[in-house]
Amino acid sequence: MIEHLLILGDLLDLFTSPSRLIAVLIEGLAKASLYVMIASGLTLIFGLMDVINFAHGAFTMYGAYMAGGLILAVGAAEMGFAMVVVVFLLVMLTIFLVLALVGTVMEVSLIRRLYEYPPIFQILLTFGIAITLEEFMRMFVEFQGINNGQYRFGWETPRLETVPTALRGATDIGLVRFENIHVLEILLGVVTIVAIWTFLNRTRYGLFVRAGVEDEEMAAALGINVKQTFTVVFAIGSGIAGAAGVILMWDPLWSVSVPLALAVLLPAFVIVIVGGLGSFKGTVVASLLVGMIDAFGTWAFQTGAITFTGIDDMMIFGILVVMLILQPRGLFGVEGQGDHG
Amino acid sequence: MSFLELEDVQTYYGQSHVLQGVDLEVDEGEVVALLGRNGVGKTTTIRSILQLTPPRSGDVRFRGESLVGKDTHEVAEAGIGWIPEGRRMFARLSVEENLRAAVPNATDVDEALGTAYDTFPILHERQGQRAGTLSGGQQQMLAIARGLIGDNDLLLIDEPSEGLAPQIVSDVGRALLSASQEVSILLVEQKLSLALDLADRFYVMDHGTIIDSGETDDVTAGDERLRRHLSA
Repeated sequence: MIEHLLILGDLLDLFTSPSRLIAVLIEGLAKASLYVMIASGLTLIFGLMDVINFAHGAFTMYGAYMAGGLILAVGAAEMGFAMVVVVFLLVMLTIFLVLALVGTVMEVSLIRRLYEYPPIFQILLTFGIAITLEEFMRMFVEFQGINNGQYRFGWETPRLETVPTALRGATDIGLVRFENIHVLEILLGVVTIVAIWTFLNRTRYGLFVRAGVEDEEMAAALGINVKQTFTVVFAIGSGIAGAAGVILMWDPLWSVSVPLALAVLLPAFVIVIVGGLGSFKGTVVASLLVGMIDAFGTWAFQTGAITFTGIDDMMIFGILVVMLILQPRGLFGVEGQGDHG
Repeated sequence: MSFLELEDVQTYYGQSHVLQGVDLEVDEGEVVALLGRNGVGKTTTIRSILQLTPPRSGDVRFRGESLVGKDTHEVAEAGIGWIPEGRRMFARLSVEENLRAAVPNATDVDEALGTAYDTFPILHERQGQRAGTLSGGQQQMLAIARGLIGDNDLLLIDEPSEGLAPQIVSDVGRALLSASQEVSILLVEQKLSLALDLADRFYVMDHGTIIDSGETDDVTAGDERLRRHLSA
């Protein structure tokens, strides 16, 4: 009873203190931005192609490892803040292109062969690819001694050596205090949303994608090369997954490790299902929802209101369960089709 | 050499042998009606031409070049357009986006849109509206407009009058008549009077084969020969 009153007191304290509330909201937005980057590639691929890509998390993990390696290789530790950020963005672009190429090869050489088979074949294939990629990285990491054989240890050194000092700390504006890296995460999240929305709604190729989502046969009969469209979407989705790994490498809550692949995949699936299978709008809204829940869960843990460490995960998966019971199509899902509006 | 030529086309759905040796020709500038009861293979014939359901044997030639083995988008690029049964709008795309999607390789999209809007002014009024919210008649106009503005020399039109009010059917008929001045047409149509009005020649299908053919000038909608083939 006393515990419940304490939690209630903390909640009242939070909602009557605008500065604390704003800080939690900023953290929620930052987390939502990360989730958008993690999940939007998955939803793009599912929306057009009905392919549930279990290798998505592995792509993010590879993006994180490659980002750490590349940023260290160019000697970012010696550079100033502005230069490091420029290098960071160039690395992000490079990794987007590399993972997009990997996605292209994977789609053309493996996944394309299975379109005419039931979805379980694609699930098994991408699951197999995910395990292969993860184990390959695990061997590489052990061989190189990067993780000292302790997979949960994380790749702390490259992160600490590459994150500029200006992004490590926190800033106070008035009474509001926020982590500096959250600003970069929110900016990247907004750029991701605007870029994907613009691609889908303001480009000719995006129009072909949306037409193909609705009716693949009709789109082909109008002269749209749907196979090529599938490949481009798979490449973009894979590229976004890799690029998300770059910012996760800098985020202290995620950092780099082989299990990052699975850690990314689970919330990504929750977001895609809660938002509505194949709906980009749904992915954005569900990311916001999950990000906020995650942030409030973290706040509750930090204040000691809740001592159970898995509270945020429990709430996130709780939403999934409730959504599957009440509205299995998700927030914006339409049976059999994606909606990229 | 015919414009479009089907030679002994055999098409299956799984184990079901639907087209059992279809031979059919459409000449340049010609409108040909494909008649027959429901389920005899008319739509499958169109799908076989488009390679949506590729024939297991036989050949489909367009301007003398075989289409068998090509992708559907390559068939479209060759100049064959499709106005399908049930319209098959991209329901959540706007009217204008539907039209833009119909000219994926066009260099002057605005000119194509202008052609569509000149033919069906109502589409111009509703250019920003989602296609799925249009009335049945407006959807059919949009389907026909998509076929007209594509760089097509042959249109495969499947049941254009299906589910439309009589007034709309006559509008659609006028649009198709106008289209027939520009392109060749293979028309599948249940409404015999409309089919015979538009077509120069006809084929009658039954059980996946062509069982009769002739000039439309030689028959009428009440013709006993046709009624025998087409009655249920």
